[in-house]
Amino acid sequence: MAERETVLEVDSLVRYFPIRTGLLQRHSGDVRALDGVSFTLGRGETLGIVGESGCGKSTLARTVVGLDKPTSGSVRYRGTDVHRASGSALRKLRRRVQIVLQDPYTSLNPRKTVRDLLTEPFEIHRDVLPGPKRLPRVKELMDLVGLNPDHLDRYPFQFSGGQRQRIGIARALALEPEVVVCDEPVSALDVSVQAQVVNLLRRLQRELGLSYLFIAHDLSVVRHISDRVAVMYLGKAVELGDRRDVYDRPGHPYTRALLEAVPIPEPDGRDTRRRTLLSGDPPSPVDPPSGCRFRTRCPKAQSLCAETEPLLRIGSAPASEVACHFPEGIPSSRGT
Amino acid sequence: MSAPTETPAAAVKPSPMSSLKRFVAKPSGALSLAALVVFALTGLIGPLFVDKPGGLGTDILQPPSAEHWFGTDDLGQDVLAQVIWGTRISLTVGVAASAIAIVIGTALGLLGAYVKRADTWVTMVTDLMLSLPLLPLMIIVTAMVGPSVTTLTFVIGLFSWPEVTRLIRSNGMVVVAMPYIDGARALGATGWRIVTRDVLPAVVPLIVVSVLLTAAKAVISEAGLSFLGLGDPDSWSWGRIMLNAQRSGVISTAWWQTLFPSLAILLLVLSATVAGVRFNDSRDPRLKDR
Repeated sequence: MAERETVLEVDSLVRYFPIRTGLLQRHSGDVRALDGVSFTLGRGETLGIVGESGCGKSTLARTVVGLDKPTSGSVRYRGTDVHRASGSALRKLRRRVQIVLQDPYTSLNPRKTVRDLLTEPFEIHRDVLPGPKRLPRVKELMDLVGLNPDHLDRYPFQFSGGQRQRIGIARALALEPEVVVCDEPVSALDVSVQAQVVNLLRRLQRELGLSYLFIAHDLSVVRHISDRVAVMYLGKAVELGDRRDVYDRPGHPYTRALLEAVPIPEPDGRDTRRRTLLSGDPPSPVDPPSGCRFRTRCPKAQSLCAETEPLLRIGSAPASEVACHFPEGIPSSRGT
Repeated sequence: MSAPTETPAAAVKPSPMSSLKRFVAKPSGALSLAALVVFALTGLIGPLFVDKPGGLGTDILQPPSAEHWFGTDDLGQDVLAQVIWGTRISLTVGVAASAIAIVIGTALGLLGAYVKRADTWVTMVTDLMLSLPLLPLMIIVTAMVGPSVTTLTFVIGLFSWPEVTRLIRSNGMVVVAMPYIDGARALGATGWRIVTRDVLPAVVPLIVVSVLLTAAKAVISEAGLSFLGLGDPDSWSWGRIMLNAQRSGVISTAWWQTLFPSLAILLLVLSATVAGVRFNDSRDPRLKDR
């Protein structure tokens, strides 16, 4: 992997949601949505984040763009701490780090026309473009995401889901960001439309040099768009590496199980395919298992897994890191 | 995530003309609106055609006749003239008090909906206000400040906002939880901008309904306070007409002196309430037959 300039640095990000019970709102526990996630994002790179529902993907997205505050840890965009910035530094950050939200049906204000929706970023950041130049820029944005600029005065409901997501993307791109966090941008769309939107995102990346943090639960979508992939389980990254390594030589048993659960279109070889079926549901993030969080469902779990928590480290492929005592493809002597 | 099915009409911004047409398409809308217009015109231009009732007349306690449509009171004053002049004051107090209540109620409701830390206080004060016995309090405050139209307006307005706050807060919270609010925050929109551009427009229909219902209630409060002798002694209001009937001891015999102002109150409150309900229905996309 070529060395890239780092634009976004996420350092042991932790987000606990306190549970308060009773009349006095006593603090009785935490939902550990994020429990120490670290990664870096290079310029022009796409980092895919996959994981089951409830593993903390969306909390990660919200925290990275500053919609949510972390319990500890930090997110730095080119050295600026996203959660400590204020005033003009924060305004600048808002322009450079943007988010595409999940559901295009609820992420656009139904009472505003496309014109209002796309002009809004410039009204919030008045210094970016002088008034008369805004309309041409809005039309240019419509063009950029493949929408007809003549439809400026339509309301969101007059568009299809895919078109609405294009509006959402245009809105995120209006201020010329460098990092775009895509929080499941296609999961609410039909499969045929998903491909269009993913290809649009790829084209925009090439043209504008964007870095994506692409969050999804669909492994094939992530494979299609990502350079590197992080697999999350219960608030932790269990595997992080080059896309090819993670997909072809998964190091973590969980990654392997996820990949084996992906349906394959060809009937040939379906019967001979090796599949590890995971039993049960993910444990509660309020009270995660001791040691390795995956051990309760892991086919390879041993007593060591309950005692010591495995940390992310170089696994079977040199470019990927795995948090497992007994990673796939390596003799089990590694656990210490 | 499944896409929520959305009736296209739900998000259409109706032009003012078409929504008015839809409003009056039903008899309840047309009739209530007509009644409100008649009341407004009576209050505005009625007093230009009728002398302000005062002094002593010769026709004392006359039942309704061609000459005195609503009859006369024990001083020989025309009850119709009193009702017309009373319309002006009752409507003024109703509209002004409702305006005060709406402004305070909307501001606090939006504050509670958007600012989590303020919400506890807003809810607490609102609940406290709602639990107070309003009439005795209004009587005490009005009596202390001294009765006048201005006092009545402020007292009624300052005691009527909690219901508006509660309505705006609960509906504002639904809007604040929408993902597009997060979208605006991620763009860097200030809280003020989000509240005024995203949340407020979404609750405007509720505000319109609240204005009508609060005004109707304010008219009742005004009549009640005036009937208890806390109205402005220099101006006519519907409550004062009834107070006069009660004071002069003719309330059981001169039925016309209490019937007509009561009918006016009933009709105004009824039409304001029906108009509010009709406005709500005419904007509800889920109702097929709206």
